[in-house]
Amino acid sequence: MSKDFSIHVEHLTRVEGHGNITLDVKKGKIEKIQWSVVEAPRFFEAMLRGQHYNELRPITSRICGICSIGHSLASVKATEDALGVKITSQTAALRRLAIHAENMQSHILHIGYLVAPDLFGAGSVFSMLGKHTDTVLKIVKLHRLANEMSDLICGRTIHPIRLVVGGFSMYPAEKQLIQLKKRLIEAQELTKDLASVILSVADRLPAFTRETEYIGLTSDEEYALYDGDIASTDTGRHPSNREYKEVMQEYLVPHSTAKYAKHTRESYMVGALARFNLNSKQLHPIAQEIASLFKLKAINYNPFMNTIAQLVEFSHNVEDSISLIDTIVELGIKQEKPVKPVKKAGRGVGVVEVPRGILVHDYTLNSQGYCTKANCIIPTNQNHANIQKDMEKLVPEIINRPEKEIELTLEMLVRAYDPCISCSTHYLDVSFL
Amino acid sequence: MKKKIGIIGLGNPLRADDGIGLVLLRYLQDYKKTLSKEIDFIDGGTSGMNLVHLLENYDSVFLLDAVDFKGTSGELRKFTVEEVKNQKIQWFLSTHEPDFLSVFTILQQLGKIPIQVIIFGVQPKDISYKVGFSEEINTALPHLQKKILKEIQSMII
Repeated sequence: MSKDFSIHVEHLTRVEGHGNITLDVKKGKIEKIQWSVVEAPRFFEAMLRGQHYNELRPITSRICGICSIGHSLASVKATEDALGVKITSQTAALRRLAIHAENMQSHILHIGYLVAPDLFGAGSVFSMLGKHTDTVLKIVKLHRLANEMSDLICGRTIHPIRLVVGGFSMYPAEKQLIQLKKRLIEAQELTKDLASVILSVADRLPAFTRETEYIGLTSDEEYALYDGDIASTDTGRHPSNREYKEVMQEYLVPHSTAKYAKHTRESYMVGALARFNLNSKQLHPIAQEIASLFKLKAINYNPFMNTIAQLVEFSHNVEDSISLIDTIVELGIKQEKPVKPVKKAGRGVGVVEVPRGILVHDYTLNSQGYCTKANCIIPTNQNHANIQKDMEKLVPEIINRPEKEIELTLEMLVRAYDPCISCSTHYLDVSFL
Repeated sequence: MKKKIGIIGLGNPLRADDGIGLVLLRYLQDYKKTLSKEIDFIDGGTSGMNLVHLLENYDSVFLLDAVDFKGTSGELRKFTVEEVKNQKIQWFLSTHEPDFLSVFTILQQLGKIPIQVIIFGVQPKDISYKVGFSEEINTALPHLQKKILKEIQSMII
């Protein structure tokens, strides 16, 4: 092993935003391995300062086109915490449905459109058409259902409008929920079909492991997504979500414009695999069956299995949504008005699990209800250091393979984390070829 | 049931001029009565791949967005899908997801391509993270609003 080579992947495809991979090898010796984020800083917190609390949710819902429900929920939870608002059980149930819808939307997008091409040896999902049209159409069907579910619960496919401080501004009709339940039952069968197809190519997921810490929400009541306590696979439950900074210790590195984070080790991971590792026993039995198909057991230290954990969660989201609809319909939809604040000022922290991991919004409101301080901890920022540490262990293990294979494996590693680097980039860059 | 016409605004209002499509959408909504009862007005935000599921519902679609076609800031250009194809323009709906023609490939497979798709692109000046348009877009706005209303009125009659 005495080769010289360099790999520079600029603006890695099939991830959100701009991230670069650099690998320099001289005479077989690794001189540099670097995952760097080159996206311009976003300053969302500055946009929130000076805004009335009723405006915080609409603004944060625009941070991301994929996690707009999650940002909305973290935002209303933080505001409600600051103003002493206690939501009703109907609101809590509907918000859980909303978070399931978003998880389904995002996971199927990542599994189907971004990772499946790697597993099928295709450049993109469109190259899969023809040979794997049936699979693509199943993915499209599941994606459509998740979109329509978001629309029904939140009033829009993305950037929700019905989620407001204290509750909902509008409610779905019982008839619509019953119709949705029928489609979710069909979707569970499609999910099982998709799991079989993914299983047939799952040997393309690298068998790589590196011990790390996993952080997410946990709850005695359920597989935690909407609510729970911050927890770590290393240190267990943290005593207070308000003291989230004791766990999510953000720091800056010179080569990246995004913040990095650590807790007890040099890095930690958030997202579907972290949630699975913390809470797998609370998954619905059908989701657990899918996990067994892939021999996915907690604690799993292979980051490439994050995509499989997403598939498992998708199945859980479908099943739990069916149960939630049953409960909501049995009790009957009440046209509740949003609960009003009992306090005028204060600090509030809202923590939810979004598709890419744990998300925190922290607001301080003054006596007029205006935001004077805001902090948002985005899941992808918490994963950057872990991606770097994975690369540092992975590269020596694959250094003797062809350069193209090394490059693809590193790209697949980053994509496995489903990073959302720009978290709201949409600008259309048109180039005339 | 398939509805007739969809006007879809795209973009991110937290990125300065990138929000122009949504502002034009709201302007057109104010003129709803003078247009047609069959029109749906949709805030598509940063839709990306979700656009497949928005487009498949309509026979005729008008997309409003900020598009960098190397024109003058505030300039409005109209594209058809054929023009996009022929000029080999890569139009990315977001960095996460496929370009516009790829969305069309999926629609083709689904057999749900709208009969007519018109893209109205406005050349932005500034797409940095901030709320509010650049001076160029602010100056061009009244003209853009009138022009887009006139264009759409003429196309749906």
